[in-house]
Amino acid sequence: MKINPKPNSKSLLFIMKVTLLNVLIISLTFVFAHAVHTNGQGVLDRKVSLKVENVKVKELLNELEGKAKVNFTYRPELLKNLKRISLDAVAAPLGDILAQLFYENISYEVIGKQIVLKSTNDEKIKEVFTPIDFAIQVSGKVVDEAGLPLPGVNVIEKGTTNGVATDADGKFSLTVNEEAVLVFSFIGFVTQEVPVNNRTVLDVRLQSDVTSLQEVIVVGYGEQKKVTVTGSVVAVSGTELQKSPVIDLSNSLAGRLPGVTAIQASGEPGYDASTIRIRGINTLGNSNALIVIDGIPDRDGGFGRLAPQDIESMSVLKDASAAIYGARAANGVILITTKRGKSGTPKISYDYNQGWAQPTRIPDMSNASEYAAIMNEFPVYTLPANEWAAAWEGIQADGTYTASNGQTINAIFSPEDVQKYKDHSNPWTHPDEDWFNTAFKNWSPQSRHNLQLSGGTEQVKYLASLGYLFQDAYYKNSATYYKQYNFRINLDAKVNKYINTSLGIMAREEVRNFPTVGAGAIFRMLMRGRPTEPEVWPNGLPGPDIENGENPIVITTNQTGYHRNPTDYLQTNGKLEITNPWIDGLKLTMLGAIDKTINRTKRWETPWYLYTWDKASYEPDGVTPTLQRSLRSTFSDPRLTQSESNVLNTNLTAMLSYDRTFANEHTINIMAGITREEFEGEYFQAYRRNFISPAIDQLFAGGSLQMNTDGSGYKRARLGNYGRVAYNFKETYLAEFIWRYDGSYIFPESGRFGFFPGILLGYNISNESFFRNNVTFIDFLKIRASYGQMGNDQVFFRGGLQEYAFLSAYGFGQYPIGGQVATTLRETRVANPDFTWETANNMNVGIDATGLGGKIDLSFDYFYNKRTDILIQKTGSTPSSSGISSLLPPVNAGKVDNKGFEFKVGYNTEISGLKISAGVNGGYAQNKVIFMDEIPGAPEYQREEGKPYGAYLAYQSDGAFLSQEEIASNTIDYSAVTSNLRPGDMKFKDLNDDGVIDADDQLRMDKTITPNFTYGITMNLQYRNFDLSVLFQGASGGLLRFGTESGDIGNYLKYSYDHRWTIDNPSSTYPRLATRGDTYYTGGNYGNNTFNLFNTNYLRLKNVELGYNLPSTLTEKVSIGALRVYVNALNLVTWDKFKIWDPESVSGSGQYYPQARVINTGVRLTF
Amino acid sequence: MTKIKIFISLALVAILIPTSCNDDFLNTKPQDRISSDITWSDGALSQAFVFNVYSYLGYGGFEEQMLAAYTDEAMFTHAGRNINTLTEGSESPSNIAWTSATYEWGNMYLAIRQANIAIENLPDATFENEPLKEQLLGEAHFMRAYYYHQLLRFYGGVPLIDKAYGLDDDYSVARNSFEDCVNFIIADLDNAADLLEGKNPERGRANRLAALALKSRVLLYAASDLHDISTASANSTVIADFANKELLGYSSGSQTSRWEAAKTAAKAVLDAGTGYKLNLSAPVTSDEGRSNYVALSMGGGSAAADASANVELLFERTHTPLYTVENNWPLGGIHFGINNGPNGYHNWAGNTPVQQLVDDYEMMDGSKFDWNNPAHSADPYSNRDPRFYASILYDGATWKPRPSDVAQLDPVNQIQTGYYDNGSGGIINGVDTRQSAVENWNGSRTHYYVRKFIDPDPAVVENQSGYQVVPWPFLRYTEAVLNYAEACIELGEEDEARTWLNKIRFRSGMPAIAESGVALRDRYRNERRIELAYEEHRYHDARRWMIAAATLGRPIGEIHIEATLKAGQSPRVPYRHDKTVYDYTYVPQVNTDNESRTWVDKMYYRPISRNEVSRNDKLIQNPGY
Repeated sequence: MKINPKPNSKSLLFIMKVTLLNVLIISLTFVFAHAVHTNGQGVLDRKVSLKVENVKVKELLNELEGKAKVNFTYRPELLKNLKRISLDAVAAPLGDILAQLFYENISYEVIGKQIVLKSTNDEKIKEVFTPIDFAIQVSGKVVDEAGLPLPGVNVIEKGTTNGVATDADGKFSLTVNEEAVLVFSFIGFVTQEVPVNNRTVLDVRLQSDVTSLQEVIVVGYGEQKKVTVTGSVVAVSGTELQKSPVIDLSNSLAGRLPGVTAIQASGEPGYDASTIRIRGINTLGNSNALIVIDGIPDRDGGFGRLAPQDIESMSVLKDASAAIYGARAANGVILITTKRGKSGTPKISYDYNQGWAQPTRIPDMSNASEYAAIMNEFPVYTLPANEWAAAWEGIQADGTYTASNGQTINAIFSPEDVQKYKDHSNPWTHPDEDWFNTAFKNWSPQSRHNLQLSGGTEQVKYLASLGYLFQDAYYKNSATYYKQYNFRINLDAKVNKYINTSLGIMAREEVRNFPTVGAGAIFRMLMRGRPTEPEVWPNGLPGPDIENGENPIVITTNQTGYHRNPTDYLQTNGKLEITNPWIDGLKLTMLGAIDKTINRTKRWETPWYLYTWDKASYEPDGVTPTLQRSLRSTFSDPRLTQSESNVLNTNLTAMLSYDRTFANEHTINIMAGITREEFEGEYFQAYRRNFISPAIDQLFAGGSLQMNTDGSGYKRARLGNYGRVAYNFKETYLAEFIWRYDGSYIFPESGRFGFFPGILLGYNISNESFFRNNVTFIDFLKIRASYGQMGNDQVFFRGGLQEYAFLSAYGFGQYPIGGQVATTLRETRVANPDFTWETANNMNVGIDATGLGGKIDLSFDYFYNKRTDILIQKTGSTPSSSGISSLLPPVNAGKVDNKGFEFKVGYNTEISGLKISAGVNGGYAQNKVIFMDEIPGAPEYQREEGKPYGAYLAYQSDGAFLSQEEIASNTIDYSAVTSNLRPGDMKFKDLNDDGVIDADDQLRMDKTITPNFTYGITMNLQYRNFDLSVLFQGASGGLLRFGTESGDIGNYLKYSYDHRWTIDNPSSTYPRLATRGDTYYTGGNYGNNTFNLFNTNYLRLKNVELGYNLPSTLTEKVSIGALRVYVNALNLVTWDKFKIWDPESVSGSGQYYPQARVINTGVRLTF
Repeated sequence: MTKIKIFISLALVAILIPTSCNDDFLNTKPQDRISSDITWSDGALSQAFVFNVYSYLGYGGFEEQMLAAYTDEAMFTHAGRNINTLTEGSESPSNIAWTSATYEWGNMYLAIRQANIAIENLPDATFENEPLKEQLLGEAHFMRAYYYHQLLRFYGGVPLIDKAYGLDDDYSVARNSFEDCVNFIIADLDNAADLLEGKNPERGRANRLAALALKSRVLLYAASDLHDISTASANSTVIADFANKELLGYSSGSQTSRWEAAKTAAKAVLDAGTGYKLNLSAPVTSDEGRSNYVALSMGGGSAAADASANVELLFERTHTPLYTVENNWPLGGIHFGINNGPNGYHNWAGNTPVQQLVDDYEMMDGSKFDWNNPAHSADPYSNRDPRFYASILYDGATWKPRPSDVAQLDPVNQIQTGYYDNGSGGIINGVDTRQSAVENWNGSRTHYYVRKFIDPDPAVVENQSGYQVVPWPFLRYTEAVLNYAEACIELGEEDEARTWLNKIRFRSGMPAIAESGVALRDRYRNERRIELAYEEHRYHDARRWMIAAATLGRPIGEIHIEATLKAGQSPRVPYRHDKTVYDYTYVPQVNTDNESRTWVDKMYYRPISRNEVSRNDKLIQNPGY
């Protein structure tokens, strides 16, 4: 962009204010001064050959800009009075030329490849020039949405050539006509026109242009302009993800990316990541997407624990565009790009978030009197049904009943007890314990600090960040908490015109802390805790356990020892880019990464004590109960387990690319690369017990008996050759071919390498004149289609990676022989010398469009994925008598089809200063098993083939037998189910109408535990300095198999209490309750019935953020670049039918650490 | 141009860096496995392979759900484990009842495959240690026989597979006849006995005596009524109507000659071994009898019992005191005490004795216990067979020290399964009942707990890191003695039978028996029931004698015990058993609420799962399913 001064305009001087802030920045940049200097010198050393005669200085500078590849920044008036000049230089250093040009009044300073010209004598110039009447000088500052200054923004007086670019601080000054309209434009931002209206100060905030077709999207091994993208790729910016106050980044994805499903099964600090699925389930095996971070696939630790502030963008390749990742791409690819420095003055930003978490939902349990009522019903049900009514009356009135056969039944809780539980008159003998609330605090704090420093010159750019994270658990005095320290440096250096290098270093420590008893046991006991028993005695001492000493109030704390699990990651990647100087567009990139992970565990278990009371003994005062302190852990000697695993992953990559546009019409992009990856790991563990005291928690102090050590290791390797050929004609006709020739250690040598092609086509119809001229309300319309073949080399059976399945080899085991531990060798698998990766055939068609002047944008994708050669065990057809049904190796046999669609609609507008953007997105994916080597012989309606993978097989509940009369008139044979039908028993549908309820009456349903439709609704509002963003997220189509551990063994849900058949209130809908699964419809094979399957559809207010950016007039006064304060929240409100615990849960028993609702406040300070 | 060349060569170098050592690096080696070839060239590795063949024995019979719970020995306490599915007669090929991995069809064939691999490879093994090779081969033959005998006694004749299948073989295979299976097993055992002659490996491994003892068992079963088709058909219409009777037993040959074979096989064991204290000519004292039986149950695995009783065990599943992390199968300590002990000790009351078993313990004088005898019914736990006290925990029985949190309720360490007058109109629920304040969901429903196999050593505290190392007796000498006695009785050699039965009785402090004929057979059957209680015999014995309908099919008996204060007495605080203070009443009751037991004719054999029949079209389902 060339800027020519208006010939007759005059202007005031540009006076640079030296503020405290400048001083600060200068002192902070001091550290980089050397680099600046060196590179500045480099620019001035550039040799220039030039011959001009009698030209204006300005014209000469224009020439120099082209020759020396520099940019001059200056006030036009600076050059106003300079004489025309002639110059004849042959390979003269730029510095010399400039020295000749500006020997007086004008100095120059090099910033990157910018050369800023300044007056050396402000006073003098001020005297010379005075403003003319019809012009005014306007100055101001241009900032981005976050309030950060934007350098290099073009500011032009509309309709003229008068203009200027903002300086490094985003400031500009320009003399313009009083009636002028200023146009602010900058790549990646929405161009803004602002009338001057006689103002002399104009501060402008530019909106980033999210719908801009110039936007660049990260794709496999490269970037593409959005307009030329042909694959089904969705992206989200780090800024967007930052709005969710989550600890694990995977939890911020839900609802933001159509076709990407995130399901969070647990909220436990350290283990609260979501399971990410791209386009649902496509296979019978492993469905995990490939994660690529800064170009390196499969990095240890994934992306969940990256600092959101460090993330530039996240792209998801959903279709054939993933084919370039070959044998690991079948389930889609997630590309994470971390932030890098931008040239300019150093910027420091500091983020502080303080949040408070609580469970989204704690199950509502029955209280003491409700529990007592349920328990009292059970003895009655042992009598003949015709005596139930009388017996129940007796139990309630006197606590006993004698049946006509002479049998006496007694109430579990006498009427007096029930009354006392109700009236809370004696918390010692008759507590009404709420186990969850006693164990939990109201809010659990979490906080995140992040300090980021970035900046640089054209030659060297840097971004460094330092973060700290703390997350507490819900428990009072919690032993569970998560801490994280993370550090990153991303450096980019331009060695010369042809060589660019970059370096990334990431160090992170994740420290997971737990009590020695796992969350499963803790929540099992919270769910089971009987309300008639105290978790804590009224005097504050811990009450008795439910079982195994596991009283939540104690086992959630460090009273049982500790379990510390720190994981250290050191991940480095370096890149060298060499641009060929002779062939334009040819580039060689070399990339290497070394990732080291060390995971340590130290688990120190010490015996613990609880207090019991026999309800009879009192202290001498006669009123204070005597509590007995007893050892209640299931062991009495302290024990220590320590383990360490060491992982080293390396990646070496080289790529050659050629990228060029010919005749402004034909753009081609050719890339070929090769990557070699190795993964090595080692594990070691030591265990000692019989410590004589809990005082020393070191291995040496353990007893000599019953020690144990363990260890293992692995070595894995992959080699990939890949490439891309893309062509487009005027960005209208787009074609792309990508491939990978990939080899994985996991396959036998004969089938190790495979070729994975992808072809992608696009057509930007809106570029055609016939379209442009006729369809005016559509600004942009693209149709695209893709087809690709990808692989999946992740062979998992029953959760274990099946390595070396082609070798005939024996694994190690142990068995006691002669009272000693003997090493055994066992056949782990029958070898299959002949298998290979599973093949994904992924087809996608989509459209992208924007209309109404950019106000509406939408995209729609339809996909059809056919996965074949899925690696399965042929357990269905192999009889057990073969002896190998549990040793079956992977064979390429399974087939699954998966179809679905995704959509995204967005709308932005502005109404009197209120900027609104809203959107809806959704993804539907429904798979169907085509072949899985199913067990033959089942009725057609029970077959798994033809249904989604994992579809429930269940008896169809049909309400309950209301009464004995109904049982008497029942004609269906239940003898295979129970020998004794009683009122309140569950009825089943006789599916095959054979008059008998048996295994043939189960139906294969068409739903699974996983929702098949997920969606998000977003809304962003901005008014002046306030902004509000809202995300609703929902999922539907999943079913959860439900069943709590209730009865004499544990408490009932309030839901169960409210929805049950009783003698007083018989139901034909809800059956009688069971104690510990002792009815046919709660336990055993018949427990698999539809009554226990709950619909988990939900819609939730997933994320809200309200922010306020302090106006720059205010921030400048205190010398702050920008200050943003905000509050945000996660999982604020949930609407669902399930209502018992969180509908996102995959636990049927409620025995899991619930998901969190988080309220968070944050501040972002930028200098 | 030279610069271009430099660039191109640089590019080539760059491409070569990742490929520099071609793709050999993809041939990574497993770090946790050893190739089969190496295994059979090394004695220690081959031995490790054979050790694994043993591992399919699991915990032996020390599983949470015991086979005893399918019989009139025990009731399983906890609901929802598919125990009722069998005992209530509703098991079907599509609704399989609880099946232990120690006899489950697929697991047995997996174990047999491992034995087959050893049997195929050992003869050609290249390591140079012939005695070891012979021993390992002998063990493999023994183990294959053992696993086939498990299948045979639960399912009848099964497909005999004596090779290790490869991938994509034709796996469809028909069942062999019962007789073929017996012959196959006997051949393996004869082989094993030969190969193991003179070898004396450590405990837990097969030896010659074990092979002889298993042979005795298999031939005894083969001689029994259930497998004599004409007798079986007369007793069971389901068997009578079955088209493939050869799968279930012998239609030809004489049952007598089979009894002869059984007798010979049993005698071979008796001649080759000694057993524990089987040389007595008169009963020992009651106390001695009790401690002898405790010692037999402990098999040498308790500090509180005579370790030399270990000689009794001919084949056992040993346990290591050097277990590592508890609960870690297969090394973790045996949880038998936790699985089955009283809830008042924080244990789980799994397989509790039923009243019928309790009643079958004779009185000290050898007479039957009888509820109709007022002296018996008023004080049912006095003056019984010493083995009763060593096998059953009953109300008032003294047991180990209580855990400290329960000691307040019972400082004298007595089992409390009754309901006791508290002196003020209320009731104290025994701490080991289902109305207890301590983990009541783990209380016994029969009001008894099993004691046999729980280490009485107070240092072994159940549910508190003290795990016992009591071995599981797969085969013990006394079984062979009983087998011999049974064969003798069936062959009319009653003197010989009585002589050996009395040796067993004398050891336990019980008087000699003098009956003959049917009465002798009944005494023998009861003796076998009592002596081998909880040892996975009753289920098979009741079926092969075809007395299952009258025994296993009975509704579960339990006891209800109340203590009322004698006139003028004040209650013991805290409660303790005291006949001077309380009057105890014992009322036997029937439990059909938790388990409504019955016997259906088809139950003589377990069904083969529908899935297995669907996968193997040559497979014939067992009768009645």
